[in-house]
Amino acid sequence: MSKKATKEELMIIAVAREIKDGDKVILGVGLPTTAGGLAKAINAPNCVLMTEAGIIDFEPQVPPNHIADVMCLRGFACAEDLFNTFTTINYRGFVDKAILGVGQVDRYGNLNTSFMEGGPTTGMRLTGAGGAPDFIAYAQETILTLRNGEFVEKLDYFTSPGYLGGGSERDDSGLFPKGSGPTMLISTEGIFRFDKVTKEIYLESLLPGFTAEDIKAKVPWDLKVADPIKPPPTPTEEEIEYIRTFAPQHCVPRQVMMELAAGKFMEVLFGKNKKE
Amino acid sequence: MPENKASKIMTTGEAIERFVRDGCELVIGNYTVGTCYNQISEIIRRGIKGLTIYSQSGVFDVEMLIAGGCVDRAVLTYCLRSGGRSGGSMLERRQRAGKVRAEDFSNFTYNAMLTAGAMGYSFMPVLPAIMTSDVFKVRDFMGEDKFRVVECPYTKKPIPVVQGVNPDVCVVHVQRADRHGNAQYWGALGSVKWACLASKKVIVSCEEIVHEDIVKSSPHNTIVPGFRVDAVIEEPLGAHPAELSGCYNLDVLFWSLADMANKTEEGFMAWMDEWVYGVEDRASYIERYVRKFGKKSLDALMARPYYSAPADYGAAFDSMWDEEGKMRYWGKTRQEIENILEERGFLIDVEKSD
Repeated sequence: MSKKATKEELMIIAVAREIKDGDKVILGVGLPTTAGGLAKAINAPNCVLMTEAGIIDFEPQVPPNHIADVMCLRGFACAEDLFNTFTTINYRGFVDKAILGVGQVDRYGNLNTSFMEGGPTTGMRLTGAGGAPDFIAYAQETILTLRNGEFVEKLDYFTSPGYLGGGSERDDSGLFPKGSGPTMLISTEGIFRFDKVTKEIYLESLLPGFTAEDIKAKVPWDLKVADPIKPPPTPTEEEIEYIRTFAPQHCVPRQVMMELAAGKFMEVLFGKNKKE
Repeated sequence: MPENKASKIMTTGEAIERFVRDGCELVIGNYTVGTCYNQISEIIRRGIKGLTIYSQSGVFDVEMLIAGGCVDRAVLTYCLRSGGRSGGSMLERRQRAGKVRAEDFSNFTYNAMLTAGAMGYSFMPVLPAIMTSDVFKVRDFMGEDKFRVVECPYTKKPIPVVQGVNPDVCVVHVQRADRHGNAQYWGALGSVKWACLASKKVIVSCEEIVHEDIVKSSPHNTIVPGFRVDAVIEEPLGAHPAELSGCYNLDVLFWSLADMANKTEEGFMAWMDEWVYGVEDRASYIERYVRKFGKKSLDALMARPYYSAPADYGAAFDSMWDEEGKMRYWGKTRQEIENILEERGFLIDVEKSD
């Protein structure tokens, strides 16, 4: 049975459905953790959720504030450190899926989360590489989430390797596990996949309210579009119930979140005066 | 007692004065959580200059040190940006102004430098695919040394490596420590242990200084042995507004206000005036917080307990002599054993022997 959903909820649901039962998954913060929580609650109860801070096999009770947040859990199965997470788990090939946020992305799924509008000393400084380059390199599959980012012909800074120059270049380099790389990108407007041979990104399905032309207008090359274009995911009652209860802050548009948070701030800061 | 002549217990002010010098290399030991904001604030109030800082994941800690003019060079992996595209960060502002230089690593490659340093190695292999990234290609003040490439003697493949580093001092906040400096930290482990062990001096602040018996019954929680620690500070709420597992949550309200302030330089400097320069120490910081936001806001952050199941470090016995005074493996009393040694001529009178 279908239910009314926000765009934000559709994004979370689409990502959660990518996680298969038993997958070992590295999660970035925000949408990825909510998607991980949803997958574990509904479609992949035996998936193992992990973050690079060394929090291995957890089940969030509330959405974490960041990747080192253990206050959102009631315990977790294994306390590793960051060095061991990247080596004994990631480099050894035990990450089935990584879910990462993106600033800039090019047509072969290479990422920039470091600098825009110029180089390191003059440009706009984004948050930085963090765990992204080492995870997208060794996770078997990587799912990318693009919320405020953009498609570019050439990255301002090449933080993290997708399919490099496309085709078989990633596999041929000998630096990555064979067949690994980004498999899906989701934006607030659509869901994208990568061509099996050329490794070029293409539009697979649209979120409601957008046309392929809307999206093509924001992509600086002639974006390929699946034919026929797939319908967006249809949410189930169970999925909506879970995410709205678990992570209301991730289910609403940013502006609504800001308004509601500001209201609470005013209450804490000036509430006393109002009552008096 | 040796403890008296060399007590490591001191205030944050005393520790920073003794161990953090102008121009030194300083690593912020905490990774995202538990950040030693008490120590960061004290470094700024003391006007320490010319630091090279190492930060695994910079939030307001890095922003504050840069705003305070303490930092010349920063080794980074990730850093806060406030206000999205239209906002910014102190790091960005000061870097553009040419006042701070930054070298950007990934989380792993940064951690690998500390791990190598902690282990005494001059370098550490990192994951080879980093060679495709601008993290590898773009160099600032570390130049050629940022990454080098060696040939694996076994596979003959090229392996990127980072150098081992040993920062002069590590500042770190943990849940508890004993007077010897044995520091106990749990939760998201990140690179906290490696930052401590890599450094030449370690300043530990903690929520509570506990008796050494507590530490000895839970050694799995100790991330750095006391002999590596130079100062132990008891500083409740030392990590606020960050969180600390089992103690308090992230202060989202306070955090968001700081984040809003940080959209502009003037905004953040005004925040610094209030929360760093405007208070003397952590106690007066907390006082100001309670005055401004109410005790209720502070209480709402406090963690409800969820205890770790105790690990049983018990053993079958704690003496070689059983209840009857017999040696457990031989079934003989001490007198019986000494008699045997005497009869066989194994007991030597040192003064009478030739």
